[in-house]
Amino acid sequence: MEISRREFVKATAVALATAAAGGSLSMLVACSGQSESAVSGGDTQKYSAVCRFCGCGCGVICEVKDGRLVSVTGDPDNQSNKGLNCVKGYYLAKVLYGEDRLTTPLIRDDSSTKGTEGGLREASWDEALDLVASKLKETWKADKSRLAFWGSGQQPITEGYITAKLWKAGLLSNNIDPNARLCMASAVVGFMNVFQTDEPAGCYTDLDYADVFVTWGANMAEAHPVLYSRLTARKLNDPNVKHYDLGTLRTRTSASADKTLVFHPGTDLAIANCIANYLVENELYDADFVEDHLQFKAGTENIGNAYDDGYDASDVGQSVDKVWNIEFAEYAEMLKPYTFEYTSELSGVAVEDLKELADVFADPDKKVMSLWTMGVNQHNRGTWMNHNIYNIHLLSGKIAQPGSGPFSLTGQPTACGTAREVGTFSHRLPADLLVANPQHRRYSEAIWNLPEGYLDEIQKPGFHTVKIFREMSKGNMDFLWSAHNNWAQSMPNLTRFLGRGDQKGVFDTFVVVNEVYPTLSTQYADVVLPAALWVEREGQFGNAERRTAVFEKAVDPPGDAKWDLWIILQVASRVLEGEQIDGRDAFDTLFGFIWDKSAGDFKGDSRQTNIDIWEEYRTFSNPDLNEKAKAINDNASGEFEGKLKMEAKQLAPYEEYLANHGLTWPVREVDGTWLPTMWRFANGSQEEGFDEVGIAQYGEEGLAGGISFYKTAKGKPSVVFRPYEPPAEEPDDEYPFWFCTGRLLEHWHTGTMTRRIPELDRALPEAQLNVHPDDCTKLGVTDGDLVRVKSRHGEFEIHVSTAGRTEPAPGVVFAPFFAQETLVNLAVHDYYCPLSKEPDYKKTCVSIEKV
Amino acid sequence: MGIAKYLPYAAAALLGVQAVAYIAHPTDGLIRPPGAQGEKDFSSRCVKCGRCIEACPYAALVPASADAGSAVGSPTLDLRNQACRLCHDFPCAAACPTDALRDVAAVEDVDMGHAVIDEDLCIALQGMRCEVCYRACPLIDRAITIDYRLREGDSIHSVFAPVIDEQACVGCGLCVERCVIGQPEVAIKVVRGDST
Repeated sequence: MEISRREFVKATAVALATAAAGGSLSMLVACSGQSESAVSGGDTQKYSAVCRFCGCGCGVICEVKDGRLVSVTGDPDNQSNKGLNCVKGYYLAKVLYGEDRLTTPLIRDDSSTKGTEGGLREASWDEALDLVASKLKETWKADKSRLAFWGSGQQPITEGYITAKLWKAGLLSNNIDPNARLCMASAVVGFMNVFQTDEPAGCYTDLDYADVFVTWGANMAEAHPVLYSRLTARKLNDPNVKHYDLGTLRTRTSASADKTLVFHPGTDLAIANCIANYLVENELYDADFVEDHLQFKAGTENIGNAYDDGYDASDVGQSVDKVWNIEFAEYAEMLKPYTFEYTSELSGVAVEDLKELADVFADPDKKVMSLWTMGVNQHNRGTWMNHNIYNIHLLSGKIAQPGSGPFSLTGQPTACGTAREVGTFSHRLPADLLVANPQHRRYSEAIWNLPEGYLDEIQKPGFHTVKIFREMSKGNMDFLWSAHNNWAQSMPNLTRFLGRGDQKGVFDTFVVVNEVYPTLSTQYADVVLPAALWVEREGQFGNAERRTAVFEKAVDPPGDAKWDLWIILQVASRVLEGEQIDGRDAFDTLFGFIWDKSAGDFKGDSRQTNIDIWEEYRTFSNPDLNEKAKAINDNASGEFEGKLKMEAKQLAPYEEYLANHGLTWPVREVDGTWLPTMWRFANGSQEEGFDEVGIAQYGEEGLAGGISFYKTAKGKPSVVFRPYEPPAEEPDDEYPFWFCTGRLLEHWHTGTMTRRIPELDRALPEAQLNVHPDDCTKLGVTDGDLVRVKSRHGEFEIHVSTAGRTEPAPGVVFAPFFAQETLVNLAVHDYYCPLSKEPDYKKTCVSIEKV
Repeated sequence: MGIAKYLPYAAAALLGVQAVAYIAHPTDGLIRPPGAQGEKDFSSRCVKCGRCIEACPYAALVPASADAGSAVGSPTLDLRNQACRLCHDFPCAAACPTDALRDVAAVEDVDMGHAVIDEDLCIALQGMRCEVCYRACPLIDRAITIDYRLREGDSIHSVFAPVIDEQACVGCGLCVERCVIGQPEVAIKVVRGDST
C-alpha cells in the first residue's frame, strides 16, 4: 500500500495522540497504513486550531467525537510548524478535561477568606453579573482611576479588541493593560522607538536560511521547542552554520550551541555596544546601508530604577523617553569606551570570544539571525537592550532579508495578535495607534463611530501593570478584573501584592477573575466567572512572525462556563445602561453590531460574531473600508504631521485565514488573491513573500539592500546609543546571589493548565532551584536539600538541584515559576525598565540558607 | 511503508518474550538498590532485614512481591512509581548489615542497570519535542544525550532523539518515572546488566 509521507506522518501522529488521550493498543493497530477517517472511525469531526500555549503558534488539528475532544495533532498545512508539536501540544486535548474545571459562577461574601481555598459559594450568572456590573459602575462613576482590567497575550484577538473598545471608548479609561507588559513590553517600546512600527520585519523562514544564529538570553530549546527544532535542522542541513548562545546561565539551548558566552547579569548591553564599536572603529559596517537608511540618536542616561512608587512621576522618570539627533561621528565617539578589553573585564566573557562574535557581524557575506526573549525583555534596561541588538543589525545591514535579521521571539500565543496588534496596553489604541496622538484618536473615533474629540479624555496613558498592582497594594484600587492570566502567581513582588504582611490592598479591592480552573488568583477573587477554554469557542491568535490564525470552536464549554466575550458584553450592557454617546445609546453604538440587548445575547453564532468583529477591527488596517478613516489616514485636511500609512499592517477578510490556516501580515490583495508578507520592507515579488505592494504604495525603490522602511519616520530607523548601566540590585554580603526565574518545556506559565494534564505533571512534578556545585559547597547544601531563598522583598522554600538541566554560573541561581506551592515570585523584585515598565524577573538578589 | 505497520506486532512480540522470560527467571525484573554487585552476589548476601528499605528517604525501596519467588521480601524498586534519587550519601547502602549493598561512594559507582528506549512508543523519536527522559536525567548529557536528526520528509525540522549510553547510565530510573507515555507500557525501562 502506498501512502504519501504526509499522510503517514498524520496517521501516525493521530493514532499516537489518540492513544495518548486514553487510547489503547488496538488504536495503534488502526494506524498502520489506514486513512485518517478509518483511524477515527468515520464519525468524528475535525477542526483547525492553534496551540493554546507558547509564542511559536503551532497549528493543530482537533478531532472531536461525541462532543468530546479526542485528539490534537500537528497541522501539516500550518506554515509555522508544518505538523510538528512539542509534548505540551501533544497532550493538548487533555487540557479541557481536568477534574476541577470551573463550571458555575462563584461569589465570595467574606473578603477575609481571601488567600484561602475556601470562602467561595456558587451563584447564578444573573447574580454574579449584576454584582460585577454594579461594582464596576459604582467605581466608574466615583473615580475612574480606581478601576482596572488586566488582560493577556493569551486573550484571543476579537475578545481583546472588544475589551479594549469597552475600556477605551465605553468607559473612557486607559486602565487596561495585558500580562504582555511582563513579557514583551520592552520589545514593543524597542520596535516603536527604532521603527515606529511594532513587530519584526522577518519571519520564521529566516531560520531556514541563516548562516549564524545568536540567541540572547533565550532558552529556545525549552521555551520555543518547535522553532528550536527548526534552528537545529538548519544546522544539520549545513554544517557550516554556527550558533552562539549568550546568557547568564547555561541552558538546554547552550547544550547544542557551538559556543556559549556566559556574561555577568546586565552586561549584555556592553557586549552589543562592543560589537558596534568594533564595526564602526574598523569601518566594517555596511556604509551604503547606513547612508541610505539610518539616523543616529542619543537619549537620557543615568535613569536609575523604579525603587519607589513615585519614580514614573519624578524628573528622571519623566525624561526617560527623551532622545535627540546626533551625527554618526558622535555615535562612534560614544561607543569608544566599549573596547574588547573593557567589555571582557565587565562581562566576564573572553576577549577572543567577543571578537569572534563581532567578526560574525562584520562579515558582509554572513546571514545572521539574532533571537531573544525574556533575558532581554525582562531586564532593568530591557528597552535599551532591544535597541542595542537592532543597532548592530542595522549597522551591518543584516535585516529584512531571508535568513538575516533581528527577531524578537514572543512569549505567549497572541502577545502579538492581541496585546500588541489590537492594543490592549494602557497607552495604545488598535493597530499600533497611541492614545497620546490626536491623529490616532481621530482615526479610532472614525472607525468606532464616535464624535470627533470623544477620545480626547483618554489622551493620557493609564496605569501600566506594576502601577496597577502597586496602587492596589496601597488601597488605591477598588475594582480589578482579570482574564486569561494568573496574576497572583505571575506578578513579581507577591509578598507586597498579595498583602502578605498587612492583609490590605487585594483584601479591600473588589476582584473579578475569569478562569477555567481554580488558581491562586481565584483565591483572591470576590467573583469567579467560569470561562470557555481554548476551542470551546472560536478565537484567533497572532504569533511572533505576524501570523494570524483562527482556532475553530470544536466542543461546547462544560456546565455553565461561558465565552469570555459573552461575559464581557453582559457586564458592558449593564454598566452602560442609560449611558449615551452623542445622543445615541452608548452600548448599541459600540456593540450593537454584534449584541442584541433585548435578547441579552449575540446576534449571530460564534463564527458570525467573530467575522463581524474582525471586519470592524480590520478596518483599522484597511482605511479604504471607511471614508472618514481614509481621509484621516491620508491626512487629507493637512492638519496632521503626515499620512498614517495604516495599510502597513493590512489584514485580510476573515475567511482567508480559515482557508489558509493562518497568514502573515501585511496581507495584500493582488489580482483578487490575498497574499501574505514574510519579509516586510524588502522589495521583491509579493507572491514570494516580499513587501512589493507596501513599497509600491509608500516606499522608495533602489535603496541599499532593496529595502525601504516606509512605515518609519523619514524612512529611517533610529540607531540610538544606549550605554551599559548596572542592574537594579547587585549582590552584597547579605544577598550574595542573583536569582533568575523562567520557563521550562513541560509547563506553560503558572502551570494551571499543564499541571492538570497527568502526563505533564508526572514529567516535571516539582520546581527546583538550580545552583552551581561550587556554590553548593560554600552553602553546605547538596542536591535534594530544602533551602530558604530570601530577598529584600520576600522569601520562599525550594529544593536544590545540581542535576544540570540548567547550569547557572557561580553566583547565579535559577528556578522556574510554574509551581504554585513554590511561589518564587514572593521574593522577586518589581523593579522595571523605566521605558517599557516591564519588570526584571532575572536579577533579584537573594540569600540562600539550608532549612 | 513505514515501521508503523509492524509496530503493534513488535509490541505484542515484546510482551510475549517478556512473559516467557519472567517465568524462567523471576528475579530478572527486579531492580536492586545502589551498591548491589550483581544479582548473584546480592541474593547470596541479602537477608531481607529491610533496613535499606527503612533508610530510603524517598521510599523508593520496596519489598519484592510474592511473584519474585524465593526473592520475596528482598529490596527492589518500582521505578515508575518512585525512582532512585541517587542520594549523595547512599543511606540504603550504609544501612546494609551484610554488605549486600556496598562500595558506592559516588554516583558513578552505582550499577542498577541501564535504560532502554522503546523506539516504537517513544514520541521524541516520532518527532515530538518531548525528551522528558533526557532533561530529567541526573546524568544529563552523559547517560542520555540528544542525537539531532533531520525529521523524515521534513527538511526544516529535526528530531531530538534521546540516546542512552549504557556505560554511563546507572539505572536510577528517573527517566522511567517521568516518561509521559504509560500506555500500552512505559516508553523507557531499566534492564539489569546481568539479566538474561
